[in-house]
Amino acid sequence: MNAPGLKMKERFRLSRFVRGEKASPDPVILNHRRIFILPTRRGLGFAFLATLLFFIGFVYNNNPVYLLAFLLAGIFFLSTVHTFRTLAGLVIREGYGKPVFAGDTAAFPIHIDNPTSLLRPQIRIEGQPETELTLPPESRSQIFVHRTAARRGWCEAGPITLCSTFPLGLFRAWSPLRFNMKILVYPQLAEAGVPLPPLSAGPDRDGVGRQGSDEFYGLKNYSAGDPVRRIHWKAYAKGYGVLSKQYRGGGSGELWLDFDETPGGGTEERLSRLCRWVLEADQAGLRYGLRLPGNRIMPADGAQHRQSCLEALALYPL
Amino acid sequence: MKATASHQKLQFLLFGTVGLAVLPHYPHLPPLSFGFFAALLGWRLLGVRHPAWLPGRRVLFLLLLLGIVLLFTERQGILGRDAGSNLFITALGLKLMETKRERDSCLIVYMAFVAAATQFLYEQSILFGAYIGLVCCLLLALLIAMNGLQHHIAQALKLAMVFVLQAAPLAAAMFILFPRLDPPKWLAIGSETRNRTGLSEVLEPGSITNLGLSDELVFRARFDGPLPPPHQRYWRGPVMAATDGKRWVQAQNFERYPKPDPQVSGRPYRYTLLLEPQEKNWVFALDMPAEFSPPLSRNANFQMVTSEMRGQRAAYKLTSYPDYNTGPLSSAEYRDATQLPGTPSARVKDLVARLHGYDAAPELFIKNLLDHFRRENFRYTLEPPKLDANPIESFLFDTRAGFCSHYASAFVYLMRAAQIPARVVTGYQGGETNEVGNFIQVRQADAHAWAEVWLDRHGWVRYDPTAAVAPERIEYPLDVSRLSPGETIYFESAAGEFGKIVSFLKQAGLIWDTVDYGWQRWIINYNGTHQAHFLAGFGIKGSRAMLNWLGAILLAVTVLSSLAILYRRRRQLDPALRIYARFCGRLARKGLVKGTGEGPKDFAERVKAALPEHADEVDGITEIFMNLRYGRRPNPQNIERLKRRVAAFKP
Repeated sequence: MNAPGLKMKERFRLSRFVRGEKASPDPVILNHRRIFILPTRRGLGFAFLATLLFFIGFVYNNNPVYLLAFLLAGIFFLSTVHTFRTLAGLVIREGYGKPVFAGDTAAFPIHIDNPTSLLRPQIRIEGQPETELTLPPESRSQIFVHRTAARRGWCEAGPITLCSTFPLGLFRAWSPLRFNMKILVYPQLAEAGVPLPPLSAGPDRDGVGRQGSDEFYGLKNYSAGDPVRRIHWKAYAKGYGVLSKQYRGGGSGELWLDFDETPGGGTEERLSRLCRWVLEADQAGLRYGLRLPGNRIMPADGAQHRQSCLEALALYPL
Repeated sequence: MKATASHQKLQFLLFGTVGLAVLPHYPHLPPLSFGFFAALLGWRLLGVRHPAWLPGRRVLFLLLLLGIVLLFTERQGILGRDAGSNLFITALGLKLMETKRERDSCLIVYMAFVAAATQFLYEQSILFGAYIGLVCCLLLALLIAMNGLQHHIAQALKLAMVFVLQAAPLAAAMFILFPRLDPPKWLAIGSETRNRTGLSEVLEPGSITNLGLSDELVFRARFDGPLPPPHQRYWRGPVMAATDGKRWVQAQNFERYPKPDPQVSGRPYRYTLLLEPQEKNWVFALDMPAEFSPPLSRNANFQMVTSEMRGQRAAYKLTSYPDYNTGPLSSAEYRDATQLPGTPSARVKDLVARLHGYDAAPELFIKNLLDHFRRENFRYTLEPPKLDANPIESFLFDTRAGFCSHYASAFVYLMRAAQIPARVVTGYQGGETNEVGNFIQVRQADAHAWAEVWLDRHGWVRYDPTAAVAPERIEYPLDVSRLSPGETIYFESAAGEFGKIVSFLKQAGLIWDTVDYGWQRWIINYNGTHQAHFLAGFGIKGSRAMLNWLGAILLAVTVLSSLAILYRRRRQLDPALRIYARFCGRLARKGLVKGTGEGPKDFAERVKAALPEHADEVDGITEIFMNLRYGRRPNPQNIERLKRRVAAFKP
């Protein structure tokens, strides 16, 4: 599953140490190529302890102290192997993350699979906040790597570092991993309170039927994406199945969210406002369209539509 | 709630283990210091349940001052074994009171390791070693538990054991091969560690509980003629005539005794003494040296001394006679040889009376006394129990176990109680004979103490009470590599119904002694000489060779253990899968990489489309693989077929 061999030059690239290897969509098995190890501060202390005991043994010519010092040295030595084994053999797979608004925290799901019969305590995933988990033998678990989504657009997970100092805490084994994981970040939500722009009349019926959007028109069978608030619950209760209420006015008065007519100074401010309006319009069950410079989304409603609007806002060129 | 409960449990365990690590320091720490530590530890243990009871900053500062004052009043300085451990334990106690973060706990564990290790500077018996080993296992388990296994302390303990077992071969390799060098002189603060069997100016039988058997060479004597028989190999050292009941030293004014030349007779032994560098100016001559030349001289105790510079190897020519008569006793000598620290107690007098010390000739009393040692359950051991304030009496009536200086001093004491002039002579006895070179090698372990009794018309006559109890000690050369230090020799007469049990116990005792001897011999006394000798047997000579071998062994162990861990997973893989992976690898080199979700059949189709000329081979391999992997009854021979086919497959 791991990408086949590295070239010599890649093997000795320093960035492998901190940033990991090139991203690949395949699951990654942690092995000696992926795992790095260095002593921790506690480990240096332990080495100092062994040296101190050795020195005491030397000065006093005391064999049991020598023996103890050598035992500790051996344990120090072996602890590299044990710490390595805490990570080795784990299989890491990327997941799909949900979009967020700028300023929120993006959560990248990671699947960790422990196919071996070893208990893996104290696996840490670096990030804010740091997650720590224990993997029982033959188990899978999902964790989230959190990143602050500061700006709209694509938020990349970047290198994800798994590390562990188990068992003795003398060495830290870590494995920096890169996946092609991206989470879409919508623009930051503006404060609520600015009313939606007026419904624009169709080109032929200017000024008429502004409030016509709530004029009942008829019922149709529910189809996925219809706003929940339009479901005819009474009919549903009577056993007629799920029906959506249809309102006239969609044709007569459509809500156009126009970038150029949005209040606000900068581009980002306007995008934020539009973002809020999209949500409000969606909540109100209106049909709305989005007009951005160089991009136009025809009026519609439903979750799908809302998502494509938000996507367009998120990916609007900076 | 569970988290705090297990945290408390861990803390209890931590502080409890620290207590266990420090506990054996009890006998040699000043009582105040130990009490201070115990109080702090108790306080800390209470603080686990009631964190509010722990001292604040101000109290902590006061405690620190108190600790410093305590250290200061004990006036031990800060260097050296006793002062160092005292300082360290006090610091550990103070550190206990300040454990806020995990790093503090870790430091405490490390300090406890040092506290445990420094115990070995005082006591090195095998049981003690086991105890410290156990404490170290606990400390390791604590480190593990603090680092991720807070809720699984039993598992942490198991893992710690695994660690120790795995590290043991590494430690053994380092122990055996790491060159033992003597510390440089400016670091020589370690002289207080061991009671060497070497000679000193003071003989103090009660205070020594464990003699380190040093096989350090003292001298060699090359004889011109035949060697003297073992029972005549007494090499005379300082003579101890003055005692305060515990310690024996040379009489204060012995140099002013008249120095008569003893009358010698019998066959002379001519020999050359090759003396290793000594701290004192003593030369150990065979009793009784008669012919010698400067820089040697014979003092009033008939001991040979040299006026040459000390600390250098030297050779002296001497002639000794086994039969001699030292002649009459001067009044000063008589006074010194009958001096007693106070009057003997009633039970001593009673014993002397029972052995006819007061109403018979000295020779008879001596004979009775030696019989007494032989008949009663006195035993010879190099690890006698420690004696209390009155060492001679407790040896004679209670413990009845000791080595030469116990017997010699008790013997002399009883002689003096009967008004017979007697004194303790120290020196070396026996030695290892080397028939080829016709010489005797005497090592520190051959150090001995015996008694001299002044008898009318004979002068000073040598008696060795140790020989009464352990004749082997005299008759056979004491070979350090064969002697068991815990050796006990019983002269029991109870062969009756308890005989079986006794013999079983004796058997068990002998086995234990052997184990203990192994520990003494291979762990405690594994010094530079020993190491060089042992490793030379394997052809490893010199420190550099040792280090090279050590490096090679460590490397080999590392490679082996790494391989065992790295290839563990691969070994569990189905062989069919492994061979199929080889097949996929070949294709990957051609740019045909099997996708993660792609089945072998789909992959085969794709490969056939890309490499039509190999279609048959690909089909064949895929079919066999499918049969092995997914077939209802896989044909075991197919593994071989698959292997062959894949080996032959060269796209």
